[in-house]
Amino acid sequence: MTTRPNEPLLVAEDSNEDFRMLQRLMRRMTVQNPIYRCTTGDEVLDFLYQAGNYQSPNLAPRPSVILLDLNLPGIDGRDVIERLKQDKSFKEIPIVVFTTSANPKDIELCYQRGANGYLIKPMDANELEKTVQAFVEYWLEANMPPSVIS
Amino acid sequence: MLEEPELKVLQVSSNIKTYLGLQPQDLLDRPLSNLIDPQQAIAIAQMLAGENGGNPLKLSISTDRGERYFDAIAYRTADAAILELEPIDSPNETSFLSFQAAIARVLSQIQRTSNLSEFLQLIVEEVRKLTGFDRIMVYQFAPTGAGCVVAETKRGDLLPPYLGLHYPATDIPQPARELYARCWLRFIPDISAQAVDLVTLNQQPIDLSLSILRSVDACCVEYHRNMGVAALLAIALMQEQQLWGLIACHHYTPKYLTSEVRIACKFLGQLVSLELANKIRQQELSDRIQLKSLQSELIESISQASNFVEALIQPAPRLLSLTNATGAAVCLGNEISLVGATPSLEEVRSLVDWADTQVSDRLFATDSLPQIYPPSLEFQATASGLLLLRISKIRRYYILWFRPEVIQTVTWAGDPNLSIQPATDGSMKLSPRRSFEQWQETVKFKSLPWKSYEIDSANDLKTAIVGVVLRKAEELAQINQELERSNRELAAFAYAASHDLKEPLRGIYNYSTILLEDCGALLDLDGVDCLQTIKRLSQRMEALIDALLRLSLLGKAQLNLQATDLNELLQQAIAVLFASRPEAQLSVCIPRSLPIIECDPILVSEVFSNLISNALKYNDTDVWVEIGYQEQLGISPIFYVRDNGIGIQAHHHETIFKLFKRLHSQEKYGGGTGAGLAIVKKIVELHGGRIWVDSVPGSGATFYFSLK
Repeated sequence: MTTRPNEPLLVAEDSNEDFRMLQRLMRRMTVQNPIYRCTTGDEVLDFLYQAGNYQSPNLAPRPSVILLDLNLPGIDGRDVIERLKQDKSFKEIPIVVFTTSANPKDIELCYQRGANGYLIKPMDANELEKTVQAFVEYWLEANMPPSVIS
Repeated sequence: MLEEPELKVLQVSSNIKTYLGLQPQDLLDRPLSNLIDPQQAIAIAQMLAGENGGNPLKLSISTDRGERYFDAIAYRTADAAILELEPIDSPNETSFLSFQAAIARVLSQIQRTSNLSEFLQLIVEEVRKLTGFDRIMVYQFAPTGAGCVVAETKRGDLLPPYLGLHYPATDIPQPARELYARCWLRFIPDISAQAVDLVTLNQQPIDLSLSILRSVDACCVEYHRNMGVAALLAIALMQEQQLWGLIACHHYTPKYLTSEVRIACKFLGQLVSLELANKIRQQELSDRIQLKSLQSELIESISQASNFVEALIQPAPRLLSLTNATGAAVCLGNEISLVGATPSLEEVRSLVDWADTQVSDRLFATDSLPQIYPPSLEFQATASGLLLLRISKIRRYYILWFRPEVIQTVTWAGDPNLSIQPATDGSMKLSPRRSFEQWQETVKFKSLPWKSYEIDSANDLKTAIVGVVLRKAEELAQINQELERSNRELAAFAYAASHDLKEPLRGIYNYSTILLEDCGALLDLDGVDCLQTIKRLSQRMEALIDALLRLSLLGKAQLNLQATDLNELLQQAIAVLFASRPEAQLSVCIPRSLPIIECDPILVSEVFSNLISNALKYNDTDVWVEIGYQEQLGISPIFYVRDNGIGIQAHHHETIFKLFKRLHSQEKYGGGTGAGLAIVKKIVELHGGRIWVDSVPGSGATFYFSLK
């Protein structure tokens, strides 16, 4: 299994329990990418713009993929997509939505705003594992991310 | 002029010698049989009794210059019998047969003409063939007495055409029109001929209005002489006992017509009069059908359009042709849309204001607006005529149609300013243009009258619009009903769902507790942590469900309004807050005594405690809160709750009031549900007020709200 230790994954997830579950599954899949977590939309933007609590590149390296919850505290996940995809320096970073919302309007809106993928969080543990597996295999292993050094 | 029954001559033309070689004295006071043979005298008596169908009688009279032939026409007036003699070359009647063919031709063609103007054109062509006159016109009278040339044919080299020209009523004055109405035919073979006096024994005046040879008055002669006409033939066109118009025949050199031709013309005039009624009815019918189809097209597009006004005024000509207007205005409340030639927006607005109070009829038509609404003098050029349709008085829905002043609408014969011709002796002669001036006075500020079917058309439009509006209102009422039902269902659903959701939740919580209590010793730290998390999450879920429940109850709530002392209310709210958080460090400042207002005390108390507990939560230092209000003249006071907390960034000032919206992660600032401000907002809005926030991040926040 080829993993890329220099390609950080940024997870935007406000629920501790959900994040813990994700961590647990990824550990089982031996994901080597460093994982960073933000709990609010405002934090995601601070992380990428290296503002607020993330004013050092060590604290906040440029992610190669963002796994994004939609219903975030503060700035909403939908607005985070819009902000990043309209910014020339961030729009090439793949954003994969990871949410409980199966609302077609949300799916449509996220793709309209430039999301690169849309995954629905299933309730069932096996289903959840399959979804996370698919994410890891495609976005962290198969897919070639944009050059990190830019 | 004869006296019956012995036909004694009472009056005679002074030129009788020219034709009969006799002096008037030779005939006066003697029976007619002195002049003609007894058989002819009997024929004349029969003619007077109306027994020969009005055809002229061929007379032959022996004179000193041999046998002379005459056409004789005899008829009765109120006080005597009249015999008119007209010299002819021979007693032949063959010429009449050729006119029969002409009449037959006209008859067959009349059936084939489909509309009025085609029909009239056919008639002028035929009259020209029959008479050989230079110019034949059909002149139609308007109800006002003015007239217009509606059909014309002329010698090719004659200029200019008169077709379409209008003449004021005084050009053919009322007495002249009455004369035409009484007699089918007027004929002047030579306009410049001297009038021949009548010679009589007594000076009794004589009624010559039925005379064909002597019925032309001096004014008429002068009028036509001014136009360059030398010979004139006028055939009356009657419709329902009214003079509808004339067939006017002009010749520019003297021209004589035989009595046969004249009779043929008269016959044609009668024929046209008969057919006229038919053609007018047909024309009106086809006009109405056209109008109806226009109407249904308009109504169709109104009922389908989402924008009612747009559908009315697009395309513009449709609304105008509905009533044959030149301008229109559609007023929906204060919104006015203008179409075609209309007064200015402001003028229309004032007109509607006036109509609102002064016009009681829902359909109002006038052809002289300036007479009843003097301000319209400013725009009589575009709107001397007004047709006003009121669709709704309460909502001020009107449609107005305008017609210009008549003088503006027609092409007048000749330039009125140049054609007033003073006579050589300095007096003003009655000429066409002089009469125009007089006429202009009488029609000033008047438009063409609104025809009854045009008014009906406006009325039909109203009925249709009301129908459309009613249907839309019905649809709206139905939608409203459904909306209300679905709202009720939603509230019921949220309430039931919240209740039912709590049952399994309690199970999860209770079983986790049992597991921890009974088997806690068997689990490692991770296992215990997982169970604690389950308990914590089920509690959180309960909080969320409670918030939903609270909101759904608020949706159904009736406000329990009562006069409430806010000071008292606030004291209690703060006391409750301290009771639940004894450790809280909070100083509350109320700069001045709060007012007593009408509100639901329980709900408003919830507003204050929510805002104060937020101030407590979102604060990193010692908390102080200031509560006060701003008075505003005529408006209910605006209350505020100010804190020294962390503040809120401007881009979150709206979103914080959304249900379950939080700005911070769950472990920060007490990790609430994000429902508090949504509930506060709902309560404020239930009171008819509004709420907003003003804040600089890091320097505290101030929540403002009003309670109407």
